[in-house]
Amino acid sequence: MTPTARPTALLLDGGSDDDPTLALVHHAIDETLTAGSWDVDDWCLRRETIAWCAGCFGCWVKTPGMCVHTDAGREVAARVARSDLLVYLTPVTFGGYSSELKKALDHLIPILLPDLKKTGSDTRHPQRYEHVHDLLAVGTVPAGEADSAEARTFRRLVERNAMNLRPSHWAAGVVEGGADDREVRLAVGALLGQIGVASPHTVMPVSLAVTP
Amino acid sequence: MRRPDSALLLIGSPKPGSSSSASLGTYLQERLAARGIATETVVLAKALKTDEGTQALLGASAAADLVVLSFPLYVDSLPAHVVRAFELIAESRAEDAPDAQVLGALEQPRFVAICQCGFPEVEHNRVALEICANFARTAGFDWAGGLAMGAGGLIGDRPLRERGGLLRSVTRALDLSATELADGRPVPAEAVRLMSRTAFPAFAYRFVANRGWRAELKKRGAVTPLDARPYA
Repeated sequence: MTPTARPTALLLDGGSDDDPTLALVHHAIDETLTAGSWDVDDWCLRRETIAWCAGCFGCWVKTPGMCVHTDAGREVAARVARSDLLVYLTPVTFGGYSSELKKALDHLIPILLPDLKKTGSDTRHPQRYEHVHDLLAVGTVPAGEADSAEARTFRRLVERNAMNLRPSHWAAGVVEGGADDREVRLAVGALLGQIGVASPHTVMPVSLAVTP
Repeated sequence: MRRPDSALLLIGSPKPGSSSSASLGTYLQERLAARGIATETVVLAKALKTDEGTQALLGASAAADLVVLSFPLYVDSLPAHVVRAFELIAESRAEDAPDAQVLGALEQPRFVAICQCGFPEVEHNRVALEICANFARTAGFDWAGGLAMGAGGLIGDRPLRERGGLLRSVTRALDLSATELADGRPVPAEAVRLMSRTAFPAFAYRFVANRGWRAELKKRGAVTPLDARPYA
């Protein structure tokens, strides 16, 4: 993060129109970050036409660092590269991200280099940019399923993403459907606190599960 | 569990033509067909482009006794269009689901997934296969197991039989799986183990792959370097 500039948070909202809990989460994060002098780049993906990644690897070997296709998918790498905090918002979908969020995340490939490099016990792609961003992922699950198999898979997925994107700080949590505004704000406060973003809310409600 | 009469292969690569996912899935499908099972293939990226294709996908996945998904790992998970297919299939099956009493008397169709990634280690595929297992349970399939392969670049989008000894453990894994699946049993542990064996030392795979990207850049006549930073 550049010390002289206002930090930028990119909110990637992969929710649908009928997920009121995710809408509350979105609102609470937006409001907290804005109050904390962040610039919020708010991207509602369901209103955006982003073609599925074609798997052509043109972004590595034809136009390095840039998707060869010219729809909004090309913007993903640009907006991520310029952000200090990435926020994923999604209904937990079989333990993963919704197709709306994933259609954007598949376009993260250009922010990586094609090279394979041994890092610890695994091989990974080096980052194309030196700039490091933090990562926060919040998913919604049906009421009573904060500790379901899907919720556990979701946390492991975010952890794998963190291993590859190498954020300075990251956090993942799920919020149960039906949580009210107060519970959601507390949950969001706890998660943002984990990645070092100050929030007036620090108590974790029972409907929240946070990793790590 | 009863022997399946029909098997549906879902190809999860976004590439329109040949792909490593298609090679793996087709090999397994051919082995199932050789055992008298009626087979059908749907390329998800193509099917989901039209309403007709989507309806055909939903119809085929409702009719098959065994569904096999073969896909590449994308950002630690499944490609977006495969997630979309999961969402649609789960929704469709929930609408058509028989009531609990009838369901108890029915045998559920089975679901198998094959995931391959470009890294030499198979561990990268673990979460994606968990997602497949969660999907299977939610959508009313019996999870019959997942096969994870590292170093998917070794397939090179070509039919497995053309790759010879380099992928012998992979073809053995698929042969074993076909035998068990055709008899109504899940993917055996030995097949999972064989599939995960890297046929090429990891350091050599990385070396060859890294040279390959540079050669490809040159071949395509790119004017910017491989490590360009257009958004810095």
